[in-house]
Amino acid sequence: MQNSLVPVKTDNTHDELIQLVSFNLDQEEYGVDVLKVREIIRMPIVTRVPNTPHYVEGVINLRGKVVPIICMRKKFGLIESENDKQTRIMVMDMEGELMGFIVDAVSEVIRISSSEIQPSPAMVAGGIDQECIAGVINQAERLLVLLNLEKMFSRDEKNLFTGM
Amino acid sequence: MPPIDSEDQELLDGFLAETTELLEKLDDDLIALEKASDDTELMNRIFRSIHTIKGASSFLGFDLLVKVAHKTEDVLNRLRKGELVVNPEIMDVILEATDLVKLLVSDIKAGDIQERETEGTINKLLPYLLDNAGVSQQAAMTPQPLIQQVAPVESEIPAASDSPPPSPEATVTAESAVPQATDAIVVPSPKPSSDLVPKKSSAPPKPVEGKGGDDLSDNSTVRVDVKRLDDLMNQVGELVLERNRMIQINQDLQQSDINRPDFNEEFGKLTKRMSFVTSELQMQVLKMRMIPVEKVFKKFPRIVRSMARDLGKEVELQIIGEETELDRSVVDEIGDPLIHLIRNAMDHGLETPDVRLAAGKSRGGTLILAAVHEGNQIIISIKDDGNGIDTDRVGRKAIEKGLITEDQFTGMSQREVFDLLFLPGFSTKDKATDLSGRGVGMDVVKTNIKKLNGLIEIKSTKGLGSEFILRLPLTLAIIQSLLVEVEGEVYSIPLSSVLETIRVDQRQFHLIGGQEVLKLRDIVLPLVRLQKVFNVQQRGELDNFCYVVVVGAAEKRMGLIVTRLVGQQEVAIKSLGNYLANIPGIAGSTILGDGRVALIIDPVAMSEVCE
Repeated sequence: MQNSLVPVKTDNTHDELIQLVSFNLDQEEYGVDVLKVREIIRMPIVTRVPNTPHYVEGVINLRGKVVPIICMRKKFGLIESENDKQTRIMVMDMEGELMGFIVDAVSEVIRISSSEIQPSPAMVAGGIDQECIAGVINQAERLLVLLNLEKMFSRDEKNLFTGM
Repeated sequence: MPPIDSEDQELLDGFLAETTELLEKLDDDLIALEKASDDTELMNRIFRSIHTIKGASSFLGFDLLVKVAHKTEDVLNRLRKGELVVNPEIMDVILEATDLVKLLVSDIKAGDIQERETEGTINKLLPYLLDNAGVSQQAAMTPQPLIQQVAPVESEIPAASDSPPPSPEATVTAESAVPQATDAIVVPSPKPSSDLVPKKSSAPPKPVEGKGGDDLSDNSTVRVDVKRLDDLMNQVGELVLERNRMIQINQDLQQSDINRPDFNEEFGKLTKRMSFVTSELQMQVLKMRMIPVEKVFKKFPRIVRSMARDLGKEVELQIIGEETELDRSVVDEIGDPLIHLIRNAMDHGLETPDVRLAAGKSRGGTLILAAVHEGNQIIISIKDDGNGIDTDRVGRKAIEKGLITEDQFTGMSQREVFDLLFLPGFSTKDKATDLSGRGVGMDVVKTNIKKLNGLIEIKSTKGLGSEFILRLPLTLAIIQSLLVEVEGEVYSIPLSSVLETIRVDQRQFHLIGGQEVLKLRDIVLPLVRLQKVFNVQQRGELDNFCYVVVVGAAEKRMGLIVTRLVGQQEVAIKSLGNYLANIPGIAGSTILGDGRVALIIDPVAMSEVCE
């Protein structure tokens, strides 16, 4: 279902209601499918893991489970900032495995209808991989970038993780 | 054969589980029977197993299986009644039939029932069922004239004609020479060309061993002693009580004043009880995962027997400590390495009877397979009394293959020469045979043992035999570990690979070709700075003194330089997940008492990273 977030034009008659968790990252607002988010926690002690890509912050102990943590700012090539009271880790279900993402702040759960999602503008420069942008939601007072985090790691990166 | 109804699935599962168990035992019993043919209890047990298989498969309508099992049962019945006498060539046929049964059962298990060619095997069984099968009886009872009659034909085995007239027992033990002779005489009916018969009967088991034998063993379910389960329940009950106690203490604490005088005492008691119950619980669960190493060992008599016949060697396999228990995950992994080591011992180690006699040894070689617990490890040793490892020959081969240079070889210690055996592509054989010589075997052994965090040791005396010793951890889920600190970061090193720890002055380190080494008694130990490998930032002041943890990975030794030793702790291994599964030098992670995650160092991978 996460793949059908971008509506196909011919299927417009069927308007689906989608719930998104919205979070902030360097003044921009992003959204992910609520069903993929397992929990949202404050920053615990992170154990550094050597010889990994720079955006892998390390691993944490989530009630007995060891979960890898990705720093979203580093991954998206944004300026790093100090962690503060607002900083959260979104623990997501990534193809059956848990993974945590550090974001600046998590704001709310919003409901939108799938027809509101527009395809992302063709040229998005900068660090965010085109692949993982599922679309944008352009509402009156806000612009929300819809992410599909499962596509965040390119095949090369996955190989890097699993094939080293 | 009728298609299997889903209703019958449960019956079928039961049938498969039972048959598999029976078949596993059967192989072992049959080999034992060959050695002790007058053991009626054993005979009856074998007969019952086949009978049960026959009965159950006829009930479920597996006609092919019934046919094979039925004929085998008939032959066994005659053996039981004493109408036939056990000899190697009957055993060959019976073993072949059991292999066929295994193959058919594994077909059923795979849900893929095929028309298998069974006539060949059944035809071989038939001669023993004829009323006048006295031919074979005669062959076994009065072997003397027959042997002499055949001996000239088997001219390449002079021992057969030279040796004193064998008694019936000798027919059984003198496997290599006599069976070929008797085969040729006794089973002429199905196939006219008598030379082919012995070959046929010894060749087919091989593919089945690999396929049928392994496929049959089912690892997805465990049988647990009900008593162990009851104990477990008791322990869980206690744990629940302790939890309630903890909640109570917490409530008391919330309501009353924190400085309650007896709080410390109460809490201390609770902690003690909790830790007691948890460790008991841990032992119980660990025990349930334990299975006797027999599961792996029991397929070896069969392998050794057929190899000995193929190689024309006489081998007595002694198995010691098969009841030793270890974790299923380990048991699953050691099968392959052990087969390779046994093959090596049979092919390279043990000599043919002639060579042995010439060297003043007994005709038959001995192969000892032993398992024993030692602390938190299990030690498996494969020992033969063959000709040992010829270090010169190993060295020459390695030079020939360009693995080392002449100069390197002259400076090598015995141990270093033995290490050459583990190099991929190394083989002392000039020609690869069915059994060995491709140079992959020992590499496989090393890789698998490394995977299990184990160590391999080789002891060998030229002319007297060699011994391969495997040291393996009992379990892979919970390990004893040494916690070390590297500039503020805590890492865990599996204690099974830690040989010793020493505190040394860094000025004692030497530099050889950019590699830091330490002279430790008589060895030169390569050193690895964990701080460098893991890119840990320097914290605090540089200290001249540091700790070196000497670790052994398979046959290698090296020293890891750490800042501080924290202590020894039993830790549960947690996987890092798929995304971080293959970080070089890291085997996994664990959670420390304070809730932080500590990474577990993989000494084996570490040695590769640093190469």
